[in-house]
Amino acid sequence: MSVPDYMQCAEDHQTLLVVVQPVGIVPEENFFRIYKRISTVSQINVRDSQRVLYIRYRHHYPPENNEWGDFQTHRKVVGLIIITDCSSAKDWPQTFEKFHLQKEIYGSTLYDSRLFVFGLQEEVAEQPRTDVAFYPSYDECETVEKRIEDFIESLFIVLESKRLDRATDKSGDKIPLLCVPFEKKDFVGLDTDSRHYKKRCQGRMRKHVGDLCLQAGMLQDSLVHYHMAVELLRSVNDFLWLGAALEGLCSASVIYHYPGGTGGKAGARRAQGSSLPTEASNRHRPGAQEVLIDPGALTSNGINADTSAEIGRAKNCLGPEDIIDKYKEAISYYSKYKNAGVIELEACVKAVRVLAIQKRSMEASEFLQNAVYINLRQLSEEEKIQRYSILSELYERIGFHRKSAFFKRVAAMQCVAPSISEPGWRACYKLLLETLPGYSLSLDPKDFSKGTHKGWAAVQMRLLHELVYASRRMGNPALSVRHLSFLLQTMLDFLSDQEKKDVTQSLENYTSKCPGTMQFITLPEGLRLPPVPFTKLPILFPLDAASLFSQGEFLTHCKPNAQINRFINCKDRYFQWVQGDVCEVQLMVYNPMPFELRVENMGLLTAGVEFESLPAALSLPAESGLYPVTLVGVPQTTGQITINGYHTSVFGVFSDCLLDNLPGLKTNGCAVEVIPALPRLQISTSLPRSAHTLQPSSGDDISTSVSVQLYNGETQQLVIKLENIGTEPLEKLEVTAKTVNSKEKLYGEFLSWKLEDTLSQFPLKPGKIATFNVNIKVKLDFSCQENLLQDLSDDGISISGLPLSSPFRQIVKPRVDSKPINATESGKVGDFSHVKTLEAILNFKYSGGPGHADGYYRNLSLGLHVEVEPSVFFTHVSTLPATSTRQCHLLLDVFNSTEHELTVSAKNNEDLVLHAGECQR
Amino acid sequence: MAVCVAVIAKENYPLYIRSIPTENELKFHYTVHTSLDVVDEKISAMGKALVDQRELYLGLLYPTEDYKVYGYVTNSKVKFVMVVDSSNTALRDNEIRSMFRKLHNSYTDVMCNPFYNPGDCIHSRAFDNMVTSMMMQVC
Repeated sequence: MSVPDYMQCAEDHQTLLVVVQPVGIVPEENFFRIYKRISTVSQINVRDSQRVLYIRYRHHYPPENNEWGDFQTHRKVVGLIIITDCSSAKDWPQTFEKFHLQKEIYGSTLYDSRLFVFGLQEEVAEQPRTDVAFYPSYDECETVEKRIEDFIESLFIVLESKRLDRATDKSGDKIPLLCVPFEKKDFVGLDTDSRHYKKRCQGRMRKHVGDLCLQAGMLQDSLVHYHMAVELLRSVNDFLWLGAALEGLCSASVIYHYPGGTGGKAGARRAQGSSLPTEASNRHRPGAQEVLIDPGALTSNGINADTSAEIGRAKNCLGPEDIIDKYKEAISYYSKYKNAGVIELEACVKAVRVLAIQKRSMEASEFLQNAVYINLRQLSEEEKIQRYSILSELYERIGFHRKSAFFKRVAAMQCVAPSISEPGWRACYKLLLETLPGYSLSLDPKDFSKGTHKGWAAVQMRLLHELVYASRRMGNPALSVRHLSFLLQTMLDFLSDQEKKDVTQSLENYTSKCPGTMQFITLPEGLRLPPVPFTKLPILFPLDAASLFSQGEFLTHCKPNAQINRFINCKDRYFQWVQGDVCEVQLMVYNPMPFELRVENMGLLTAGVEFESLPAALSLPAESGLYPVTLVGVPQTTGQITINGYHTSVFGVFSDCLLDNLPGLKTNGCAVEVIPALPRLQISTSLPRSAHTLQPSSGDDISTSVSVQLYNGETQQLVIKLENIGTEPLEKLEVTAKTVNSKEKLYGEFLSWKLEDTLSQFPLKPGKIATFNVNIKVKLDFSCQENLLQDLSDDGISISGLPLSSPFRQIVKPRVDSKPINATESGKVGDFSHVKTLEAILNFKYSGGPGHADGYYRNLSLGLHVEVEPSVFFTHVSTLPATSTRQCHLLLDVFNSTEHELTVSAKNNEDLVLHAGECQR
Repeated sequence: MAVCVAVIAKENYPLYIRSIPTENELKFHYTVHTSLDVVDEKISAMGKALVDQRELYLGLLYPTEDYKVYGYVTNSKVKFVMVVDSSNTALRDNEIRSMFRKLHNSYTDVMCNPFYNPGDCIHSRAFDNMVTSMMMQVC
């Protein structure tokens, strides 16, 4: 007995073992078709009694296991069905010969046998034999089931006769000693006349009869026999057989208590068995009358049959608790014998199945723990795999999912053990996949994006690595890329820097052969592997939708020239995109990896409007901080466009990252309206661009701003070139100006222009330039400069009656008599405290093309930054007494700080010409 | 003394795990991970009625060939698992119990740290030292 049958369960004790085997060349497919049909006949109601016979079919059974048939009769092969293919009558004698040869293998235990011949008509057989059946082909064999039933009935007759035979030869004859194979030599030369020996023989026989009764469907009788056997064997310390008797007792009780079966093979076989307890009393009556051992059964042929049977059952049948105790006891007896390892193992398995039904997981785990340590002889690799798999299955059944996953993983590893010449990577991979639930790992990255990681990262990572490796060895690089991406995406927080490097390195290696895609990978087992988008490489800086809009920083930041004003009062920043124009979306990303991350082919994912995304490639430095990325694209049609994500290609893996799947980002994209095409203007001016940017106090975006430095009173013409760089003609233009920062008092008109000149050039075709002149005139008040007043008061002369500030007011009316000065001359005057600035915004509102028809305008703003310097300084002020006491002469030292000649004119029309840098009185 | 000490969060992921033979750390990960089955089973077996006065110490979870695995569960369902060399027969149940109590106290200290977020991995030097002392104790 060397090959354990891990699928055994307690009910198997009541079954008859029938081996179905092919002989000669039988196509496997056909054999299993017939085998399946035969297997359906697993339960037979024997005629003229209510007993039920159960049959267990095997297509393979090691003959050495058969030798233990006396020990437990369900291990005995009692029936043999041979299926053979015989194409011509000539082959028939040979085939028949083979049948007999096969019969001899199990010959010692066989009750009966059958031969099914396919491919021959009946005429070959010289005389009809009951044990041979001919069928023309595998398709025309309707009577197979019927024949099997007949066959089983014949088995039953033999079984019944054996049972009666053994049960009745009580005391008179000498009882032969039944023994297991390894015991045989122990009994050589033993005194066969001793009481001890006799008792042993009796006990063993009693147990054997119990087995037979159980098989014959007489559960009640078997219980009685088992009880007696236990008593007898206990008294002679025959532990192995005592164990067997106890196990038999347990099996019978289990069959009684759990008619639904413990094997978990739900099906037709057990379904019918559920009616078993109700008919049990009737069914077992015939047997009970014949045995005449149980005192209760002795009187049971009277009227009180029912009650006595009830009493008998209650007494003999073990309770659920007792079953486990007895199993424990039996196993402890088995464990005394090294050669009974298989029996012990199987008993453990059976007990676990019972405990699983009783929902007593803790005790079941103890049995299993014991089973793990049962050391059988050197197992082949295949047997090891089988053993680990079944352990895993049993742990699963008692709800120990982690333990189950552990053993399944061990089994998977065993499939590819180095000692195996042909590693079964496919099987290994399949087993590994089955362990996933045990490690609370799902292969859907969506399960991970919902909040923090749950589970045992170290173990999960290991498993993922193994999956990657197994799938690679299976020759499915797409699969390993998928698993590796999953590992990288979900376990990023748990990988060390070195591991991150290694993983990405191998990922790049794999993707060079097979790039990662966004398609589902469907496995042959029917599992679908969802795609793994790299939402963490790089990580999008989380912001919520509201702030996106108000800050204009993240998604909604658009190029000012893509922005148009539709006169809508909107609290949020309202903007639209223009068809055919390049639009931008700015993202803030950062790279969590300890090395440079190259992101290629990054672009926007949109819905709604036909959108041509212009992908960008970027390279993020290691552990970068927030890094702005601008993604651009061109909407091709008008309508509502929704930006719902972006796509990237990192390490050769393409991923589509949808915003609503990103952790911490509470938006599912933002919608932008795309409006018909509009012209676009580019502004260039005669003045240099300014480094200053105006505070966008009004909420306007300033596309460019220019600066100029002027002396007070100076006028300068600003030439603005308007170039239509769009594709639509420019039809309409409106200009408005707004002065900001106007704390200073401004005299006269600051900015003036004549729009008509420009408009006359309209409509402006694409690529054409129009000019627009703006006159800048600065007149500012530079009075009240402290140091001068100081001088005045130092003179000690009262100038009462005159408001102190008035002398400087409007005294100087500088008039520019030079041509507009070159702005590069600015900055000559070092004393900036005198410099005042003026800022203004020129707003160009223009439209044209199809967008104009819909009433859309574009807005373009030009910021103007003017630094104004005073053109003359009064360096010294003093008074001189005049002829009248009511008057005085006011002496002013005037300094011309410009580089030009200028004229100072006063009320009395005295003109004073000042040359550059000159100082006069 | 103990060869491996682990603290496991309510949701069954490790908050802290340390073992002495560092070269085969994964083995202990597996040992502790599978022991959670038994912990779960024991907790569910205890039932709800006895939640208040139930024993935190779960006793021996299961023995393996080389080690014994003991468990302890706090009222907040945080589990402590300790793996002990099974050759060390001198170790009594009571000592294991007191070790767990020490561990629990130290864990409570960690939780009292205002900078510690419950659910994060434990990176506390005091806790580390305590575990080291438990592992180092003369056998």
